[in-house]
Amino acid sequence: MENYTKYKLKGSDELTSLLADKDNLFVIACNKCFKEFETVDEPDLGEFEKLASELGKTVTGTVKVDFLCNKTLTEKKLTDLIPEGTDHVVVISCGLGIQTVADLTGKSVVAASNSLNYTGHHGMALTKKACDACAQCYLNVTGGICPIVDCSKSLVNGQCGGAKNGKCEVDGDKDCAWEKIYQRLAKQGRLEEFLNQPVQLRDYSKVNFKVINDYVKAIREERFEGYYGGIHPSERKEFSEHIDLVRFPEPKTVVIPLSMHAGAPANPIVEVGDTVKVGQKIGEAAGFISAPVHSSVSGTVVAIENRPHATRGVCLSVVIESDGKDTLHESVQPHKSLEELTPDEIIDIVKESGIVGMGGAGFPTFVKLKPAQPVDTILLNGCECEPLLTADHRLLLAYADDIVFGLKAMLKATGAEKGIIVIEDNKQDAIEVMQAKVADVENIEVCVAKTKYPQGAEKMLIKRVLKRQVPSGGLPAHVGVVVGNVSTTKAIADAIKTGMPLIERIVTVTGERVKNPGNFIVKIGTSAKELIDYCGGTVGDKEITFKAGGPMMGFVLSDIDVPVMKGSNGFIAIDTDHTEEQPCIKCGRCVDVCPMELSPLYFAKYADEGNWKGMLEMNVRDCMECRCCEYICSSKIPLISKIRAGKKAIMEMK
Amino acid sequence: MLITQLKSKETIVSLVSGKAFIINCQGCKEVSFPEKEVKELQKELVADGKVTGIITTDYICNPKNMVLRLQPYMAEIEAADTILVFSCGVGVQTVAEYFEEKKVCACCDTIELPGYQGVTPLEHDCDQCGECYLNLTGGICPITACSKSLVNGQCGGSKNGKCEVDPNMECGWERIYRRLEKLGRLDLIKCPTQVRNYATDDEVKK
Repeated sequence: MENYTKYKLKGSDELTSLLADKDNLFVIACNKCFKEFETVDEPDLGEFEKLASELGKTVTGTVKVDFLCNKTLTEKKLTDLIPEGTDHVVVISCGLGIQTVADLTGKSVVAASNSLNYTGHHGMALTKKACDACAQCYLNVTGGICPIVDCSKSLVNGQCGGAKNGKCEVDGDKDCAWEKIYQRLAKQGRLEEFLNQPVQLRDYSKVNFKVINDYVKAIREERFEGYYGGIHPSERKEFSEHIDLVRFPEPKTVVIPLSMHAGAPANPIVEVGDTVKVGQKIGEAAGFISAPVHSSVSGTVVAIENRPHATRGVCLSVVIESDGKDTLHESVQPHKSLEELTPDEIIDIVKESGIVGMGGAGFPTFVKLKPAQPVDTILLNGCECEPLLTADHRLLLAYADDIVFGLKAMLKATGAEKGIIVIEDNKQDAIEVMQAKVADVENIEVCVAKTKYPQGAEKMLIKRVLKRQVPSGGLPAHVGVVVGNVSTTKAIADAIKTGMPLIERIVTVTGERVKNPGNFIVKIGTSAKELIDYCGGTVGDKEITFKAGGPMMGFVLSDIDVPVMKGSNGFIAIDTDHTEEQPCIKCGRCVDVCPMELSPLYFAKYADEGNWKGMLEMNVRDCMECRCCEYICSSKIPLISKIRAGKKAIMEMK
Repeated sequence: MLITQLKSKETIVSLVSGKAFIINCQGCKEVSFPEKEVKELQKELVADGKVTGIITTDYICNPKNMVLRLQPYMAEIEAADTILVFSCGVGVQTVAEYFEEKKVCACCDTIELPGYQGVTPLEHDCDQCGECYLNLTGGICPITACSKSLVNGQCGGSKNGKCEVDPNMECGWERIYRRLEKLGRLDLIKCPTQVRNYATDDEVKK
């Protein structure tokens, strides 16, 4: 791969005179971007050190940094790095890196390199210069061949007349761009159109620093709001966001997995042939981090066997044939009022009702309500930052009162003083409804967050709303916070008010390939295939990808006959994406978008090398698999599967 | 990395002869793609019955990736007389090169972005001039921080520290002066004028 050099070390004469009156140097070198990744050593730092020692200079230290121009990360890396006794900081980098250091250190900064631009701006195509970013695209007139770049003289009104045998008079190795343009247009039969075009004057005022600066400033504000990194994929919520909730018809058979939560699967407490009723417990929690499961229908247990499972492949499941009568189990009884219930009683109800995090992770909620540290705030995640999904959005609109009730119960259970419901600004109607509901509730408020993915991740949410940083490997409770999903809160309200355990939830069925998308109240155990069939099936003749969950964090389904689970917020049918992994070009965009401030490019490299120790040292376990890096990767590297392989190998190492 | 500005609606409509296939590239989109405007415009084209198909993808500047992504749409592309590409100039040329016999049109104008490093730009700080002045200016670039890109000091037109070209902008040379003062290096101001070398790319390369 071509080395896309950004700068070169200044000549030794220049450096010698530059350093004449300077000593006690600390040297910072950028590891360079857009280059073959880590197979060639950058010689600049070594060359500089050699020169410095020849000149008899004291070097107080050196450091190589990736993407020095990344202000946020560079600031952290440079903290306390420059030792006492350093008089000058020498920077070997492009102009961006040098200025970043100059802004951050407040010390005398010496630029030891000159930035180059000879290969220009490439997008991602690094092998040749193709676009000069002139802000006045001529390609429509020229059959898609750029006269600015391809013509040595950047002529925009036709050939200069100096070409010989089709070759440029300036550079005999180069084809005359205007001959190429002519030939291509002739091939397309567009010569007449071309020759009749008036001369295209070039407007040199189109690119100026002000336009770019203003633009960049706007982007920066948007990108950095709340927390580092993140992306804004196309929301595509218009398929289903306006569609009211519909109760899905009673399924004939439900398949209820005994594992729909983080931790140990539940143990079945019914047998084949048993008659069960709605809300009856059919699986008992097995251990502290576990949750019971309940029947969502009344009918007969016909099998207890391994069945397909959206996230685990297969899972032991209780298969129940519904009698269609929907008979309630006698255990389903309203509890005391919220005022009369003690915190422990609330926690017990949540535990016995099998309530787990319904945002997808499935962590047993009662554990969260008994935090090891005192908490002051409960954050309710109503962001639904995943593209396509609208289940939480419809829930906020339809069950605002239950959400407030559930939040009050959570506040009472944990002793927290304040509850904040966080909703992204793309759900204006839900914001208005919730704001009206909490207007006269003293300790509950609504926080409107600018739409950005992965806002709903608990660590991002805490940073965004409370500006607190959960330590690496830590839990929200470490910073005095409990984070819950709005669906979970609604389930808590149901459990207290009616005694109904978690046996149904809201599911979005959507995607560009679903005929009639919608939002449904669905019983746990209903098959996703039935849901998609109910929506009219799929459309189009091209390959389809099915996922349980959203397009970012959802699981690809090879078989759509999997049951709706407690954490199933949606099923989507989308166009299959065809790509091929290519070598990393070190563009740095994965680092730029990682909300956990990790360096995903190293994970890909280390996974390919089987260097699990390296991955551990780069904090791979902090990765929450939000897929931002994979989304943005210009080489289409399947980063998440590499990261998962690394995490698995690290687990096995121990 | 590049940013794009949508061409005017009239221009885009006038580009379509017969039917069109539309390619949206959102590779660098998280910084720049005018998503909403594009959607509105394309909706109208579709309503007029002028569109055979639309694909929204990323990094079409990567030829292999582009071909893989377009493969399932070959029939729609075949049926179109024009391919409209909403991407930077690199993307348009990648498509034009692959479909040499089709009319391939650019629907956006491309301007350069300071983050040519691939990292989302923070500020337009470096113009890649090839002869770094930062050593004389306390690490503030006079090429980008001064509206006039002066290399030999302030023009004299600033008022209350603000630039006469853009009053929202601080005078770059005042910033440089203050920074040097803080560093105790005001002596640098007395350096002889640094003549800027406007060498071409190829000359710099050598």
